[in-house]
Amino acid sequence: MRIRNLAVAALGVAALCGASGCRKHARTAKVDPLLAAYDSEADWNDSTKMIPLGYQQAQGKRVFYQYCVWCHADSTPAGPSNRSNLTPVPALLDDGATLNAESDEYLGNIITLGGSALGKSAMMPPYGRTLSPEEIRSVIAFTRAIAQPPYQPPGRPGSQYSAR
Amino acid sequence: MPAEAMGKVTDRMRFVFAVLSLIFLAVLAISPFKDYRREWKQYKRSYLRFAQGRPDTKRLTADYSPGIDQIWLPGMNVVDRCTTCHQGITQSSLADKSVPQPFRAHPPIPHNMREWGCTICHRGQGPATEVAEAHESTLAWEQPVLPTHFIQASCGTCHQSDLPQTPQLARGRQLLAEFNCQGCHKMQGIERPAMLGPDLTSIGTKVSREWIYKWLKEPRTIVDKDGNVTVNGYETEEEPRMPKFRLSETELRALAAYLSVQKAKALRPYKISPAVVAAWSKNPELISQGELRFRQMFCTTCHSLAVTRAGETKLIGGDIGPELTKVGSKVNTDWLIAWLRDPEAYLPHTRMTRYGWSDEDLYKVSQYITTKLVDSDLLSDVPKLDPPADEEIQLGRGLFIEKGCASCHTIEGVNPQKDFGPDLSALGGKNASELEFGAAKIPHNLVSYIQAKLEDPVSVNPAARMPRYSWNQPDLDAVTTALLSMKGAPPTSAFENLLVPRKPSSFRATGSFAEVYERYKCYACHRFNGYGGDLAPDLTYEGSRAERQWLVEFLKSPQTLRPTLILRMPQLNMSDKDAATLADYLALVMQHPAVNPASKDAKEFTPAMATLGKQLYEVKYQCQSCHTIGSSGGYVGPNLSNAGGWLTPAWIEAWLRNPQALIPDSIEPRRNFTDEEILALTAYLVTLRAGIKPQKTAVNIGALASEQGAGR
Repeated sequence: MRIRNLAVAALGVAALCGASGCRKHARTAKVDPLLAAYDSEADWNDSTKMIPLGYQQAQGKRVFYQYCVWCHADSTPAGPSNRSNLTPVPALLDDGATLNAESDEYLGNIITLGGSALGKSAMMPPYGRTLSPEEIRSVIAFTRAIAQPPYQPPGRPGSQYSAR
Repeated sequence: MPAEAMGKVTDRMRFVFAVLSLIFLAVLAISPFKDYRREWKQYKRSYLRFAQGRPDTKRLTADYSPGIDQIWLPGMNVVDRCTTCHQGITQSSLADKSVPQPFRAHPPIPHNMREWGCTICHRGQGPATEVAEAHESTLAWEQPVLPTHFIQASCGTCHQSDLPQTPQLARGRQLLAEFNCQGCHKMQGIERPAMLGPDLTSIGTKVSREWIYKWLKEPRTIVDKDGNVTVNGYETEEEPRMPKFRLSETELRALAAYLSVQKAKALRPYKISPAVVAAWSKNPELISQGELRFRQMFCTTCHSLAVTRAGETKLIGGDIGPELTKVGSKVNTDWLIAWLRDPEAYLPHTRMTRYGWSDEDLYKVSQYITTKLVDSDLLSDVPKLDPPADEEIQLGRGLFIEKGCASCHTIEGVNPQKDFGPDLSALGGKNASELEFGAAKIPHNLVSYIQAKLEDPVSVNPAARMPRYSWNQPDLDAVTTALLSMKGAPPTSAFENLLVPRKPSSFRATGSFAEVYERYKCYACHRFNGYGGDLAPDLTYEGSRAERQWLVEFLKSPQTLRPTLILRMPQLNMSDKDAATLADYLALVMQHPAVNPASKDAKEFTPAMATLGKQLYEVKYQCQSCHTIGSSGGYVGPNLSNAGGWLTPAWIEAWLRNPQALIPDSIEPRRNFTDEEILALTAYLVTLRAGIKPQKTAVNIGALASEQGAGR
């Protein structure tokens, strides 16, 4: 009899452990280690092989170097920049202090419609009929990626998944 | 055991039974537990938990199912279960970098993932349901995921024509062609040029045996004080196309001996008029005048020179022809003069243009090259070489074929071995087990193999005949990308239909134009109907764009239209007849189908229209931000000071309507002009005229130097 009691007790303990284990698992779900296991491509690729820009940003970079670099950078693939010829002097593309304050929509508009449509200098021509909306979005994504100081997207500031 | 106890259930038996039952139960439970704990199910559950922590839970879990998700495309052999774990790839709200993998949204790409699946681009094992089996190379599943750094290779598998979105791939293909890899290897979509390496038929008339020895030993001539080769100048990032072979001392001597006796075409020295030599040879200005002519003729558009500034050596100039920093110590003077006068006589497939030389220029420039572009130490480490012996020559001839020299270089009567190197047209699809890694301590995967092989061929195969190339990291990665893209013949007809083939480009010049075009090698820099170089403007529609008279003047005395350019049209010293022949052909034949220059006459524009146009140009549209007129304006677009003398009214009008319709990759934005505005702007631009000023030579040199300084 004593032995049976023991067995029952053991079962009970096991059940309790199991139950508590389950509860414990449920409680720790917030910091699920699986979520961090493949947090970046670096986990299965060599970290030195990682590209710093995503596809969209890389396309933005291409468009930037074809169309924008001439006036929005201090040096260009062909040598001197056209920036010094312009008044007002155009912003550098990585000038976060100026561009971070502008919304994606505003930047999209000024690229699409040109400076004069938004009450700014007509020296900024409209690219809405030259570049596709996708290309314009990609340039903005590139701008955000290279901004100094870094760009903080609006919304969800306290997200538990925010970048470390 | 007593008999009465038999058949009775004792407590002890009950206990054993209970324990066994428990163990049995536990064993039974293992299977469902293991099933519950399967990797993909854990990702499924953690996605649910993750989605519950997001504001848009409902949308994120709309397609959620607890089972395996897959994209099945029977025609393309695609069964991709990647979306089982990568559940957020189409959720735009999960695009942020802070979203943990594997749930992050896929960046926007031109293809729909539901129509293409994942493994077509990323490789890996579509049907696998475990992380390691899907992404890595295991015994049963050999194809690992392609590192994103080389992902453009996957674009190239179908897109055999170059895409603007894949610069790394395009660069890799260009390098494969430039380094003449197709001399030894079969490859997909890389065109074989008319001439692989230089024709060596008469190399003995050009250089000495010592120089050949040096070149074979170390084919790089620019070495800084630390022994490093620095060829990262702004314009030239080229390594010499000649790779480094692993040759023993005997082999070096024998090959140098064999090559130095190659004199099939005898050198016929040109005698520069004695009067010119007498007038200039004692002149202290001779060398500086020679340098001035060298620069004025824009030899540096195709050739580069090493310039040392602040302790750093850089090559400045173009990369169409070889770098010339030490060429004076390489070639003999008689050969140089003969070459400059008529390059084709020595090298039938050369891209070197034939300048119209006066004896005076020829003397000055050749004296500059042989006096200034020299390095007295160039051959200092070459041992004393006696006149070649017959057995050395015979040995050299054997080596020339055996080492694969004949695969790239031509010598009369020497035939290359067929299929000298392995076929690379399916290299990009190989599994690691199909590759030889030898003793190399590198990860056993295709990417590492290709890179190790390219960097040092003997590292993976001690018996490799492949020479050693020196790459910088971006170029190595680009070539790797291009090789990874070559996956051989499409496995299914569905794939075959997806291929975007390379467009063959051809342009056949005709009549008297062809002779002049061939002589000046216009195609080395300019493109005609898709054929030719990309250094200079595409001339396919030049007849619609430029006024004939302007063409003639430009050809005779090229003035740059774009002040920021370092590389410019060479001063070819063209005769009136040649210039007229070229201009006539361009004006008549190279026309855009929609732009007929004869359809518009400048006379139809009124002064009032021009006034309005000027106002539009300067105030409303502020074209001066990019274009210069007179002395003010930007330098993104061409200088318009002579727009009326240069451009046809029909072209200006069509251009203002839609620049990209005429030149697809033009950076001039297409504007929303009204018809009236277009007419007014055209009217204004055709009034702009400026005579071509004679070049001020001293200023030119200064301007070139300052531009080169600013260019870097």
